[in-house]
Order: sequence, then structure tokens, then C-alpha cells
Amino acid sequence: MARIGPVTANPYPWPYDGAADTTRTALLCIDWQTDFCGPGGYVDAMGYDLSLTRSGLPATARLLAHARSLGMLVVHTREGHDPDLSDLPANKRWRSARIGAEIGGAGPCGRILVRGEPGWEIVPEVAPAPGEVIVDKPGKGAFYATNLDLVLRTRGITHLILTGITTDVCVHTTMREANDRGYECLILSDCTGATDKGNHDAALHMVTMQGGVFGCVATSDDVIAATAR
Amino acid sequence: MLTVAAARPFPYSFDIATTALLVIDMQRDFLEPGGFGESLGNDVGQLRRTIAPLAALLAGARAVGLTVVHTREGHLPDLSDCPPAKLHRGAPSKRIGDPGPKGRILVRGEYGHDIIDELAPLPGEPVVDKPGKGAFYATGLDALLAQRGIRSLLVTGVTTEVCVHTTVREANDRGYECLVLADCVGSYFPEFQRVGLDMIAAQGGILGWVVDSTEVLAALPSATVSQPSS
Repeated sequence: MARIGPVTANPYPWPYDGAADTTRTALLCIDWQTDFCGPGGYVDAMGYDLSLTRSGLPATARLLAHARSLGMLVVHTREGHDPDLSDLPANKRWRSARIGAEIGGAGPCGRILVRGEPGWEIVPEVAPAPGEVIVDKPGKGAFYATNLDLVLRTRGITHLILTGITTDVCVHTTMREANDRGYECLILSDCTGATDKGNHDAALHMVTMQGGVFGCVATSDDVIAATAR
Repeated sequence: MLTVAAARPFPYSFDIATTALLVIDMQRDFLEPGGFGESLGNDVGQLRRTIAPLAALLAGARAVGLTVVHTREGHLPDLSDCPPAKLHRGAPSKRIGDPGPKGRILVRGEYGHDIIDELAPLPGEPVVDKPGKGAFYATGLDALLAQRGIRSLLVTGVTTEVCVHTTVREANDRGYECLVLADCVGSYFPEFQRVGLDMIAAQGGILGWVVDSTEVLAALPSATVSQPSS
């Protein structure tokens, strides 16, 4: 067991209760999927600047290795739908079609956001190790319609360190869900990213307001520096 | 089917029978001088500009028989539903459960916890008490909406980037079509008001739609048209 914290973070030294340890803290890696950040995925094919969603990969890979060396729980999430699309809300499908990336339709890396397709897989830089928990989610949030809450509570997890993409959509939705459920959250600015840099910055800024309304912001270096075996 | 053509990122259509007006956390503690929000150093004037347009929208919604649902953030008097991380985080001058000028802060049943007089719920309008920022977690909201056949939500209230955003994200994942009314949601921070609305409509409406309430009022049938006919 290793101690984690206090981490130099904004707006307070994280966590609120002084320090956590590796038995109570999990590292969340949210939606590092080829379709969102891999060459040839649909975000790439749609002409977005892929470097924005990929920018957090090196730091996340380094933190992932650190977390594994400490024996921390690592949880990966993937956004996607069943091949028959029975868990795809009609409005989500309609809106994706409207911008030319219909979920379930043919994409550059298989059917877009369908479980089992190449584009839905996690990119190799942060691929799950054997035995690590993978949560498949139909929404932006990792708690709705998934077993994430059950998995975390079963392991005695009370503190979460969040990485992944995109900062303002899936990472923020998950952080908000976790915060309402009482988890003490830390989002890492260098391990996240968005298709719009302004939204990335604003999403991080929102976390820090009002005394840390959803938790705290730090960097992976801050976390590593605050870890003591 | 009614259509709000001016909505961004593209027109929003809804049926009165399957749509609810959601009024989020228009509570004295957040909106009135001396409440919890102000004790954190916030300018409540930034939120109070929503009251007049929201009152007009509420009247219009009631006139056509739209379902209206109010929410309140707050905790049980013994704080047994308040996560320690929420209670102890940061260093506000007052904490949840502490005595304040409007009663114990964010505690159910206290004066400051209730909805402001201008937007008081009518008898029969559901009021959902929620322990978190989101209105779906640990509440009966989803069941309440399902029971009434609601699929679309007109979203109003405070604050834009905290409780409104969290609730819209929850609703969106559950398949509800959310139209956020820009002039009826408010933030203590102008930057977050702007970017909060932009995030909703970004990427083809990844979380929902955004428009001003006057556009919705214009789309509603007038009182005379809504009378039963032939």
C-alpha cells in the first residue's frame, strides 16, 4: 500500500481528507478509443486536429505505469453500443447522423461506436492490461447504465483520479456523476483533452470554482510527486 | 409537433404532451442576498436576471398544460445524505448544515432551501428534492417523467455550469431531448454562462439544444388556440 496525497492541486490540496492510499483510490481512463484519438478513427476522419485529443496520451501512459507499479485499481471505460443498437437512444443516433457520423454506420475503422469494432478499441498507448476492469458505457457518463459504481464500492474505492477524453464531454459527465455519489475526484489537466482547446480549459476551470465544486485539478507530475510507498 | 426554429445547433421539435418544463434549484439560498450562494462570495445579481423570463415562461407553460417539475438541492436535517467530500471540501465561510440568515444552509425544510416566491410551485406540480448537483441521481425524477410519458425537457434554473449542466448530461444519457433556455439559466460567472451554453450545442448538439425562452413562448399555441375545438 502506498499513500497518495496531499497532492498539490487547485483549488485545495487533494484530497479533502488529507491523504488517500492505493487501496481506496482508482485511476479512471476514460474513452481512449481509436475513434476518438487514433489515426484513422472517426474524429480523425472528420477533420478535427487529432493532436488535441491525443495530447494527454504520453502523460496518461506514464501515470498508468506508475499506478500499476503501486497496485492501484485501474478502470478503463469505452463508449459504445450493442451491434443491434438496442441501447442507442433515438436522439443520439439522429444527432450523430446529422453531423455525418451516424452511430452504427460504416466508419473509417468499422461501424462507428459499435462494440467489438476496431475503432471502438482502446488505443495501444494506454491499452488495458490483463485483469484490469473495463466498463462499457452507452452514454457520456460512466455511471449511468453500467456496473462502475458497484465495482468501485466493492473494492472500497472512495477517491478517483480521472484521465481521458474528451475533457468537457465524457470526462466531465463522469466526474459530475462521481461527485454526486460522494467520490472525491481529481482531474488531471495533462491527461485529458478535447476537440476544442477552449472547452478543455473552461471545463478544468469550472472544477476549481466555488471551493472545488466537483473536486480538484492537478497534473500527473503532482500525483506522482505526492505518492509515497 | 411544435418547432423552435431558432434553436442551436438546429431546430428543436417537441410535443406538449411529452414535454416537461424543468425548473432547477431556483432556491432562496442561491438567489437571494444573504443566502448560501452569496456567502461563498458570489454576486446573486447574475442569477436574478433569470427570474423575470422564467416567470413568463412558467406562466406560458402552465397556460398550455405543460408538465412542470421543480427541483431543490438540499439534505436531510441529520445530513445523512450528504457525502463527506461535499460537506468538508474547500473552505467556505459557512458549510452545509450550518446556521445561516435563512435557516440551516441547504437543509430540507429550512426557509432558505425553498423556492423563491416569484416561481413558487403550484399545488400538484412535482418538486424533486435532490442531494447532488444532478436531478436524476438518488431521486425519483426518471420514474416520474417515465410515468407521464415525458421525452423532452425544457431546462431552466441555476447554476448553468453546475446543476443545470449535470442534470442535462444525466438526461441526455437517458435519451431525453433537452432544450436549454439561455435567458432562463444563470451562472455566477459570465464566462461559464457563455461556455456552458456553447458546450451543450457543440459537436452537433452533443448534450442538447439552446435557445431563448421568447422563441419557445412564440412556438406555444396561444391560449385561445389551445381551447378544445370541433
